[in-house]
Amino acid sequence: MKPAASRRKRKEKYRQIAHTADLGLRIWGDSREELFENAGAALTAVLTDRRRLRRQKTAEILLVAPDLEALLVAWLNYLLYLYDVDAFLGREFKVLELTPQRLAARARGETYDPDRHVSRTAVKAATYHHLEIAKRNGRWQATVILDL
Amino acid sequence: MASQVKLRQVDDYRWEIPREGKMRTRGLIFTSQKMMAKIQEDQSLQQVANVATLPGIEGASLAMPDIHWGYGFPIGGVAAFNLDEGVVSPGGVGYDINCGVRLLRTNLQRLEVEPRIEELVNALFSNIPSGLGSRRKDLKLTVPTLHQVMRLGAGWAVKNGYGHSQDLEHIEARGQIPGADPELVSDFAKNRGKDQLGTLGSGNHFVEVGYVLEVYDAKLAAALGLHKDQVTVIVHTGSRGLGHQVCDDYIKVMLKASAKYGIELPDRQLCCAPLSSPEGQRYLGAMAAAANFAFANRQMITHWVRESFEQVLQMGPKDLGLELVYDVAHNIAKMEEHLVNGKKKKLCVHRKGATRAFPPGHPETPAAYQQTGQPVLIPGDMGRYSFVLVGTEQALTETFGSTCHGAGREMSRHAALKVAKGRNIVRELAAQGIVVRGAGRATVDEEIPEAYKDVEAVVAVAHGAGISKKVAKLKPLGVIKG
Repeated sequence: MKPAASRRKRKEKYRQIAHTADLGLRIWGDSREELFENAGAALTAVLTDRRRLRRQKTAEILLVAPDLEALLVAWLNYLLYLYDVDAFLGREFKVLELTPQRLAARARGETYDPDRHVSRTAVKAATYHHLEIAKRNGRWQATVILDL
Repeated sequence: MASQVKLRQVDDYRWEIPREGKMRTRGLIFTSQKMMAKIQEDQSLQQVANVATLPGIEGASLAMPDIHWGYGFPIGGVAAFNLDEGVVSPGGVGYDINCGVRLLRTNLQRLEVEPRIEELVNALFSNIPSGLGSRRKDLKLTVPTLHQVMRLGAGWAVKNGYGHSQDLEHIEARGQIPGADPELVSDFAKNRGKDQLGTLGSGNHFVEVGYVLEVYDAKLAAALGLHKDQVTVIVHTGSRGLGHQVCDDYIKVMLKASAKYGIELPDRQLCCAPLSSPEGQRYLGAMAAAANFAFANRQMITHWVRESFEQVLQMGPKDLGLELVYDVAHNIAKMEEHLVNGKKKKLCVHRKGATRAFPPGHPETPAAYQQTGQPVLIPGDMGRYSFVLVGTEQALTETFGSTCHGAGREMSRHAALKVAKGRNIVRELAAQGIVVRGAGRATVDEEIPEAYKDVEAVVAVAHGAGISKKVAKLKPLGVIKG
């Protein structure tokens, strides 16, 4: 691989991958913590233009799951829950604690306002289909398929 | 990613995946030569084979002509499981539990409505909350009320003034799946559902005003109260966030249960539990509750459709004649009796992106359709057409009384956005005489007609194979998209 291309790839936080009926997310992070933070941002970017969200509200989130992959699905689905119930969308995410079974995190963002925010694609859920977290070339990489 | 699955053509409409490896039965796909080429481009056939490995599967692992790659089960998948060893899988129902379609007919002719279509679409758009995270500000349910909704389904809506009791005679299972237990639905799910009853949501959900473009079988059409140029309304939505949460909650339960009962899974999303297990029974109770929420949702939207027509056309309900033809669920697991090797057997039939298609004379076919067979409603994309069919005896014997559910996507949403880029889809459709209002531009662009298979080709297979019978074709005039 050419050096320029690899440098570009290093900086990449997430990418949307095509799936006939649904949508896949490929997420990267230098650490598992960063991987989860980037996953939150990737999800918000599917729903709206993240840059237009202000950091007005904070949500504290604590989740448990049987393993790291299930924890990633639980994290994304909890963010969707917050959106459904409080119309809250996170712009920035900070992982406070992460073990393979437990996640404590903080999301900063605001209440979705259809007059100010862009409505992109609605997401029903993050699924376990083809779910994967692995270390590749020194970085953490995750793949999640979203049901739209 | 091309499919590596072995395939054998049976006839013009049927392909078989021979039983191999861990498969407990064969796969059977209803499609045409032309569509099969497209199907083979993704992993949906592998998914048909994966479903065939699940314990207690009866008959073949089936796929309808609109099959496409889902997660776990393919979309367009049908699988029946016996009560002894069989399983129930939330992934075999999908996140949008009881996503479904209902069709209303009117006393109006196309020419009466066409000049007012823009007003009508605007009225529908303002009366029915739609779009990303749509909620009702005027209707927030208390927990006891929400429990009533989940127990009674469409009947709750009718009891509270949304529609008429005759509506219930024209809904699958009369709009109420038995065995619903709201206590098995989590508080998370209830929180999501409490202000979403009576909302359309987003994605491929819509309300469409159209008209009968073509009648294929005059006798059947007349029995369904349909005739050429008559104005119709289609409502397509499901159980909203409540259903999504029930699915997610029970997938977590089933991941544990699969390990507990020693069920080997080729894909985690296929996680399941024996029908006879407490986990399986709990899911069925919660799923029924979510399904009933969806029936109530479509019933309430119907009420606002009727109000919108009355407002705009200044006509009374009698003159409008907005009556329910039928309402079908296309993401559901149902306990049904079927003949297996000549013996009556109770089975749990999963239909994920598939519609029930019961024949004339079947006890579960509503009284009004005992002579015709159960109406089957197949929405297409917003630019082309939708179809009305009826169920057949052939479907009952071959597909556990099931058929297709829609056009099925052909293009990913990304590809669709690329194709739509630089175009004004709303204006293009307007030029074809179709008024579209969507909450977000992205939704309209992702749902461009080219992104879908031609529903005519899908329906042609279902009709040709005999698993349902064409009655009429409907053409859109105006659509509200989520």
